[in-house]
Amino acid sequence: MKKQYAFLVDSELCIGCFTCAMACRNYYHPPEGVIWRQVYPLDEEIYPHRERAFYSLACNHCENPTCLNVCPVEAYTKREEDGVVVHHQEKCIGCGNCIRSCPYGAPKYNPVEKRAEKCSFCHERLDAGLKPACIQSCPTGALSMVDLAELEPGNQVQYPAGFPKMEDVNPSTRFILPKLPRLVRR
Amino acid sequence: MQSMEFPLVLFTVLSQAAVGLALMGAVRVSSGPQGRSPRREWIMVAGLIGLGLLASLFHLGHPTGAPRALVHLSTAWLSREVLLAGTFAVLAVLAVLVSKTEVNPVLAWAGSLVGLGLILSAGMTYAPPAFPAVNNALPATFFLLSAVTLGAGFGSWFASESRQPLMGGIFGAGLLVALVLYLVVPCVWLSGGAVMRMTGQTWLGSGFYWVHVAVLAACLLVFRLTKGIPVWLPVLLLLGELAGRAGFFADTIHTAANLGGLY
Ligand code: SF4
Ligand code: SF4
Repeated sequence: MKKQYAFLVDSELCIGCFTCAMACRNYYHPPEGVIWRQVYPLDEEIYPHRERAFYSLACNHCENPTCLNVCPVEAYTKREEDGVVVHHQEKCIGCGNCIRSCPYGAPKYNPVEKRAEKCSFCHERLDAGLKPACIQSCPTGALSMVDLAELEPGNQVQYPAGFPKMEDVNPSTRFILPKLPRLVRR
Repeated sequence: MQSMEFPLVLFTVLSQAAVGLALMGAVRVSSGPQGRSPRREWIMVAGLIGLGLLASLFHLGHPTGAPRALVHLSTAWLSREVLLAGTFAVLAVLAVLVSKTEVNPVLAWAGSLVGLGLILSAGMTYAPPAFPAVNNALPATFFLLSAVTLGAGFGSWFASESRQPLMGGIFGAGLLVALVLYLVVPCVWLSGGAVMRMTGQTWLGSGFYWVHVAVLAACLLVFRLTKGIPVWLPVLLLLGELAGRAGFFADTIHTAANLGGLY
């Protein structure tokens, strides 16, 4: 398997503090309402406890990216060296087709630029040997970066409840499920 | 509710009316005496596709980049849609220039085939994995039914007396199929996964949906009662199709709307 960087989301460690989402905003300064990384609380049907569990999600840098396939102007590329899916905003004509088509809602419309944009795995930081801004900021280590080509089989899952299963698209993000709290009855 | 995507509503419905009109013209050419004024008919086809293409530019953040939308023909159905819409428009203009009293059968059928390709590519463009309820053949089927019913309706404006029953038959059958399909499909969605069910519920609670269904039923009723297509009826149908298409864009639920919930 070729090198494929991926976000590893450890829901057991995530406390839902939104620091990753804020770090992304602080780094890229997208206009208000344009959110590249979002923290989603799990529905009570999935995690039925007073304590909450979360998924921090952005673009999944998919193996077969819908955004890349549907873009009429070839504004997306997938990097050979690490599988990161990059949106080249200067090419984009703002047709919104990637925004409609990505099943994970990752590309967003920037009303100021009148073009789409999304998480680029901070590829310019990767090239400089740095971690993406979200990962660097996470205070609990819940968000990390793995190379799927080297990831040892473990308790990571690709399609946890609360995350759409899209096998053709094959998203790279992996999850560690939150443990159930121990109930103590008196 | 997603955006109503008004420019896309106009583009898809008007281009489908144009394709339907060309298709019905071709059907009439092949089935006997020609229509009343082929040139005026092709002017209408060219006008509809021209208006549709113009409207589609308002959907783009950067309309001047529109020609570049042709570069990704290898995988992007939107690029193919743009190519086929452009080719159809060129054929329509050519047909206006060459048709005098007789319809040119080659142009009529070439236009129809390219038009059907346009409907298929539009159907694929609007069937991405992000919308499970329509990530299938439904968009292409909806679009084909719009083309056939609008084409037969407006085609009756140009058909000779002897071809009116043919247009009427296609119009009535198309309306019946569309009505049944639009009534059944949201009910089928109710038994699907979470996002499909949400789509079914949103459609059934949507004014756009009910206006569309009511217009289809009213058109069918008027057709049955008058045993023909009154001149104003295709215009009513066009308004109904515009409402239905607005609902298609606004009320179909995106998978991302349920992140963190059960799918
Ligand atoms: S998550 Fe969406 S935007 Fe990101 S690579 Fe996959 S299809 Fe493209
Ligand atoms: S909005 Fe831009 S990046 Fe997205 S499909 Fe359209 S042209 Fe491509």
